[in-house]
Amino acid sequence: MTRAFRLEVRHAGAGHALIAVSGELDPLTAPRLRERGLSLLAEGTPHLLLDMSEVDFCDSSGLSVVIALWAQANASGGSLALAAVPDRLSRLLRMTATDTLIPVRHADDFGRSEPEPS
Amino acid sequence: MCRADGASAEDAPEPAHTGSGVDPGQTGSTDAAFTALLEDSAEDLYDAAPCGYLSTMMDGTIAKINATLLDWLGLTREDVVGRKRFADLLTVGGKLYHETHFAPLLRMQGELRGIALEMKASGGRRLPVLVSSTLKRGDGGEPLLIRTTVFDASDRRAYEEELLRRRQEAERAYAAAEQARLQAEADRERLAATLAVLQQTLLPPSLPAVPGVELAGHYHTASPDQLGGDFYDVFPLTDDTWGFFLGDVCGKGVEAAALTSLSRYTLRAAAHHDPDDPVAVLSALNTALLHDPSVGIRFCTVLYGTLRPAHDGGVTVRLAGGGHPPAFHLSAGDDGGGDRGVRPVELPGAMLVGALSGARFVTTTVDLEPGQALLLYTDGLTEARDADDQLLDTEGVAAMLAARTGPCTAAAVVADTVAFLAGLPNGTDDDVALLALGAPGAGAATAGSSTAAVSVTASEPNHVPIGSTDRP
Repeated sequence: MTRAFRLEVRHAGAGHALIAVSGELDPLTAPRLRERGLSLLAEGTPHLLLDMSEVDFCDSSGLSVVIALWAQANASGGSLALAAVPDRLSRLLRMTATDTLIPVRHADDFGRSEPEPS
Repeated sequence: MCRADGASAEDAPEPAHTGSGVDPGQTGSTDAAFTALLEDSAEDLYDAAPCGYLSTMMDGTIAKINATLLDWLGLTREDVVGRKRFADLLTVGGKLYHETHFAPLLRMQGELRGIALEMKASGGRRLPVLVSSTLKRGDGGEPLLIRTTVFDASDRRAYEEELLRRRQEAERAYAAAEQARLQAEADRERLAATLAVLQQTLLPPSLPAVPGVELAGHYHTASPDQLGGDFYDVFPLTDDTWGFFLGDVCGKGVEAAALTSLSRYTLRAAAHHDPDDPVAVLSALNTALLHDPSVGIRFCTVLYGTLRPAHDGGVTVRLAGGGHPPAFHLSAGDDGGGDRGVRPVELPGAMLVGALSGARFVTTTVDLEPGQALLLYTDGLTEARDADDQLLDTEGVAAMLAARTGPCTAAAVVADTVAFLAGLPNGTDDDVALLALGAPGAGAATAGSSTAAVSVTASEPNHVPIGSTDRP
């Protein structure tokens, strides 16, 4: 009933990348998101947008990785934002006040705000 | 007289006869020549045989011995015959065996075969031999003498000694392996004992007796080693105020447990430093987690508060939150039966602890009237799955609490919640901590005193859902 965990990266040019996350973000899968995100930042892609629309579950370890990537992106002059956040995750972000740190874009804005590939 | 004729007749056989059959005279002479070539005489066969021969009188005196044996032993016939007994040729051990076993058995059985003995050879050497003896009897059956053959068993003894040496080596190796096994066993027991002591420091302590307040706790670890990322504690702050907290470190297992310790001790120390300011206590923990290099990007969610028994039998609770699921304020309802009050105590904008410097924390006050309770829990409860495999979430937990029919006491709330979790088909594979604070009802027998109950469980290694082992 839940999707298999999957990460799909789409480079949008101008230092932007979109990571579409599918499935459950838990202690087993979260390190994969961390690894992928950190390598994108290290490879000169400072602006990350995480498409969370297909995230079925996110616990504290998933949240931990999102915050770590956000901190790393900020520290290197970049940014990290979340898009299309499902209700449950949205409540987790609110409960932990993570939504006051990390910009959350509405699903409808998603795509239009992305720069076109150069 | 007619020798020449006869001789000529016998000495000149006709050629025609040679092919007609076997001539017995001719064959006999070939065998004799063959025998003569191999053995000059029976005496030489005896003397130079490849084994030792000797004959002894019934008193053991040597009557006859062959050259082979004399040669092996480095003796002359004159030294031996009529002068020595067979036993004199043996080593001390061989002599002893001869006297106690060999001779008596021989007399009884009339013969012995392949007995291993050692003889004294020249130059102080020991000659391992195999000895066979037969008893020669006279016509009347009386024993006359003993005939003995002696075979050099040096090679065979060497082989046996090699076998023995190998066996001893194998036995030594086995002993070494056994020693290593015992050492490993001892190490394992020592580590288990060490872990057991350390576990006790990580587990929630027994809840104290707080006058006018009822306390109950439950602690379940997903790790079979009872190492978890959840924690809670209740402890005295001032004469009439008590501090308490319940939290959840990101992650599970031994690394989470280490951070659990840091969080607990920091909270207790900070609480004594700022007994009137719950937000300052959370800020102190936030700083401690951010500054500890071993923590990495781990953070925790915490509810920290103080409680003070009020004059009306209620309890005043100041509660501060750091990114933690809301506690539930529970009331029994007017008739003590249905229509329970279940109110989540929201702390909007309270951030995770240890994620960001200058994080914002939020505080509120909850007045527990007599007969009301406050339930604090970790996300192991809200992330448990119901019969339809849906996450319970705070709504599911609230619904479960509202549907309770038991009394609104701390112990009953915790017991019912544990039973509810245990009844879920998929149980929980996460750590779960529960802490309930209750203001005893007006007529309660426990009013003015305190009850504190704690249960601690751990998952079995095969991930059986929540158990109900009482704390030892």
